[in-house]
Amino acid sequence: MNIEITDLTRRFGRTTAVSGIDLQADPGVFGLLGPNGAGKTSLLRMMATAIPPTSGRLRLLDRDPGRYGPRQEIRRRLGYLPQNLGYYPGFTVAEFVEYFALLKEVPARGVRAAVAAAVERVQLGDRAAARLRTLSGGMLRRVGIAQAIVNEPELLLLDEPTAGLDPEQRVAFRGLLRDIGRRTTVVVSTHLVEDVAAACSEVVVMDQGKVVFRGTPAELEARGQAHGVGDAPLERGYSAVLSGSRS
Amino acid sequence: MIAPQGLRAWQPSDSARRWRVPAAARLTRLELRHNAMPLLLPLAIAIFGVFTYSKTLGMPPLWNVRAANTQSGLVADFVTPVAGAAAWMGSREARRRVTDLLETVARPRFARLLASWAATSSWAVAGCLLCLAAVYWATSLRASWGGPLWWPAAVAVASMPAFAALGFGAGVLVPSRFTAPVAAIAAFFVVALSTELIAGSQSYWQVSPIVSAAWDVGPDPGVATFYPYLPDLSIAQLMFLAGLTVAVVAAATGLPRASGPRRLRVVAAAAATAGLLTAGAAVGLTGTGTLDAHGMIAIPALHDAADDRPLQFTPVCSRTAIPVCLNPAYAADLQAAASALGPVLSEITGLPGAPVRVIQSATTYRQGPGNEVSISLAGPVVSGTPAVYRLLMPDQLGGPQLSPGQLRDALRAGTDPSVIASVVGDGPGASAAQRAVAAALLLAAREPYRALATGTASGVRAPGTPVPGSVPSRRRRVAAAGAGLIPAPVLQAALRFRALPASVRRAWLVRNLGALRAGRIVLARLP
Repeated sequence: MNIEITDLTRRFGRTTAVSGIDLQADPGVFGLLGPNGAGKTSLLRMMATAIPPTSGRLRLLDRDPGRYGPRQEIRRRLGYLPQNLGYYPGFTVAEFVEYFALLKEVPARGVRAAVAAAVERVQLGDRAAARLRTLSGGMLRRVGIAQAIVNEPELLLLDEPTAGLDPEQRVAFRGLLRDIGRRTTVVVSTHLVEDVAAACSEVVVMDQGKVVFRGTPAELEARGQAHGVGDAPLERGYSAVLSGSRS
Repeated sequence: MIAPQGLRAWQPSDSARRWRVPAAARLTRLELRHNAMPLLLPLAIAIFGVFTYSKTLGMPPLWNVRAANTQSGLVADFVTPVAGAAAWMGSREARRRVTDLLETVARPRFARLLASWAATSSWAVAGCLLCLAAVYWATSLRASWGGPLWWPAAVAVASMPAFAALGFGAGVLVPSRFTAPVAAIAAFFVVALSTELIAGSQSYWQVSPIVSAAWDVGPDPGVATFYPYLPDLSIAQLMFLAGLTVAVVAAATGLPRASGPRRLRVVAAAAATAGLLTAGAAVGLTGTGTLDAHGMIAIPALHDAADDRPLQFTPVCSRTAIPVCLNPAYAADLQAAASALGPVLSEITGLPGAPVRVIQSATTYRQGPGNEVSISLAGPVVSGTPAVYRLLMPDQLGGPQLSPGQLRDALRAGTDPSVIASVVGDGPGASAAQRAVAAALLLAAREPYRALATGTASGVRAPGTPVPGSVPSRRRRVAAAGAGLIPAPVLQAALRFRALPASVRRAWLVRNLGALRAGRIVLARLP
């Protein structure tokens, strides 16, 4: 199991962002849906080892991230794209990805090849020498994806990865996700149900810090058959699940 | 999603494939390439060029003077840009909101921060070395003796990582866009104001790297010319800077919980403690320093007695009747000195008791109350048999640098009367005849003093008084010469004696100099 979560809770002061979640995942692409404030980003940050859980059990890649040694092992095998990607404007695309390859302890002799491959996979090969300050928002998002996949992660966590991408890039990105998901556990937090429909093998819907649905996209669509809110079948399913959980 | 045309557009170079650079070196190289310090280096170098370089090159081409001035100048000129750039780099992760992403990477925070600080320091050190090389190269072209002093250079260079550490630490601990300017300004004032608290040579504040010599003496030509440069203060400063650097870097990068494993944080805590202890020990050692007789700070625990032995050198001498010999470091002044002293030396050549040589000698320094230092000739003015006149060049007593013309005037005003006095016996308690003969010989030697003949009947200003054996204060020493008045009878006798043909004057002196020195000749007996 690449992700094993049992009764996981995270509080920020009096606010409970994630409340007693149970989740397991093997290789595949998992869509994480939910309204704003549902706790998606907090869950992703815990899985990314950026913050520790307040309580509960979290195992990633069969290791305990609460201990330093195993946490480092997880981090070497982890890719993470935060919701708001910070970057150094003076770095070039290749340098920024190389910087993260080095920080992720990619073996020195493989760094250049890994950087080249990651940059190519997000279709920025021709902009590899461009400084980040010259790139558009969509390109920066792709740079963020490149740094996340440069170490060929076994666990890839993407928070709103398609925000800012144009339709063509979004389609290409979904293809990339499907490709990576064959041997890697990919968790994608998104508001865009099209991404989930096109790329995810499984979908998790969160609301108010809890998991309110887990199943395939088809199962989520089925939930919405008798529900009138939403333009697409998956949107109707999503709305139906949220309405059901709140009632 | 793979784009073959892009793959062709960016490929690792052959050299990169051939050389497998360790990851840490690659990280540092990236930091070197994207560091704020190179952007500020031109400013630092320009400040150095305008203030320190031009001032230093205006100083005598003596290694000790220029090295000491360069140390202080480099520290003052670089502290602001280095601390500012380092603070900017230290606050980068938080300013750029990369912290969340960087929390999830495998390499410890300590390693990446260390790389960033090391890159900033490396640029600062490179700039510092460039400036240092410029001054030393220019000095090597003009210095006639000696070689570069490396201790002041080492202190200046070691200051760069320390300033970078302080700025970087501020940036890491208080990450804001305002941290850099505040750190830059604060660093400047801390360094500049650190000297205000120095009182006497036993001040702890002399550990500040801007202090390049005993603070009361400063870059003085009389220091480290006749005796070796004492590295005691420099060693204490290096200890302080190294300790400070280690403590701040370890505390800023290794102590926070996110820095790395517990073991690393324990090591960082130990390093920070060791650094603080080292810096504290250096401050304590500096407080035990005293101004030694050669104008440098001696710290007993760091002192090497071998440094108290005078330097061996072959003096450069003029071809005058009585040779004027200077330390080879002063070779450029020999012509001015010989031309200033030559006429007077001609007057006394061959007289009984006249010196056979004038040789430049070392000064001795004595700490007075507060920041007062007295500088004087070490030992008697005339010594040995046959007699040797021991000369002090004017700039050995501090003060502004003199042009060759000013140097000649200063020697004529101060040294000529002293040389005459050493032969005739003029000075405090001298008889009227001795004073008249001394004045006559000075008048004979020097055209400008013919103006004395127009003095008032009651008295005129003497051509000069001998250089005193001791100059009471550095601030007062320049006013040493020429305050006495010659009574009219003495002046008339002097003018009469001076009017004699040189051979007659000399013959009388050869016969009567012993009696004159003994005070047995009265004014009326002067021819």
